[in-house]
Amino acid sequence: MSFIPKHRAVVLGLLAVSLAGCGGAAAATHVGGTKPPPPATAKAHMPVQQTPAAVKPSHPAMTPTPAGNPIPQGNGGDHDVDNNGGPSDGDGNL
Amino acid sequence: MATRTRRRRVLIAAAALAAAVGGGAAVLAASVQPGPSPVRAVPGFPRFLAQAAPASWRGLGLPDRSAVLYYPPALHPIPGDTDAISVASRGPAGTYLLYLNATPRQGAESLRHWAAFRLHLLREDDASSVHLDAAATGLAFRGGTGSCVIDDYVSRIGAHHYREIACLVQGQAGASVVVGAAPASQWAQARPVLERAVAAYRVR
Repeated sequence: MSFIPKHRAVVLGLLAVSLAGCGGAAAATHVGGTKPPPPATAKAHMPVQQTPAAVKPSHPAMTPTPAGNPIPQGNGGDHDVDNNGGPSDGDGNL
Repeated sequence: MATRTRRRRVLIAAAALAAAVGGGAAVLAASVQPGPSPVRAVPGFPRFLAQAAPASWRGLGLPDRSAVLYYPPALHPIPGDTDAISVASRGPAGTYLLYLNATPRQGAESLRHWAAFRLHLLREDDASSVHLDAAATGLAFRGGTGSCVIDDYVSRIGAHHYREIACLVQGQAGASVVVGAAPASQWAQARPVLERAVAAYRVR
């Protein structure tokens, strides 16, 4: 049983995804020496297996996957070696 | 009989895939140990056996104390993320010859889908091209269970061709990622050291 008419739920869902898209783009362009906290579901399309260390995302369906390369290369991002042509490290977002 | 035939077909297919992938890693079935995660392997993953590091190696713990990375004396700590540890040996021109990194789990990494996650991350982040070489899940690590992927990629900066073994390891205190990488052209020489470091990786 639904408390919201079906067509209204669809409109609300589209609006929520649009708003989340704006926030994701802002986070993806972050540049600085301090690594920003990972988004709740940085890879929303990836299947997630719950583990003891997992943090339960608050809005799992509203965070889009960043399109293209979110990390400015050439000593960008968190200034890791992988932002300077070195091997990629093990961080889950940058 | 049907099972036997099917097994033979699987082995033939696995052998063909391993030959296509190359890289010298040919051991398949014996590489995966029983564990809590469903065991799925991409042909070519080397035999994996967790074991203590050689006595001469050094250990470096993650700041959150969830894991210890062991590395040979030829490698040295290098700057990186504050919550992670990295060691490397570099050539005269500053190129990375051997690289090891350990980082606490940060995103949506999972044991079940680790290989796909890692390759996706490389494509999104550092690499202009990425190629899966081998993968395995349900590997018994020191203190935990892990999933590993071996892949190679070309960095967007400098177009360096690296090969890596990257594992997500789940321990009692949390999960972390351990990465061992080297230039793909020198993988044959680097691989034993990197695989040994991964095998010695200890989680809590």
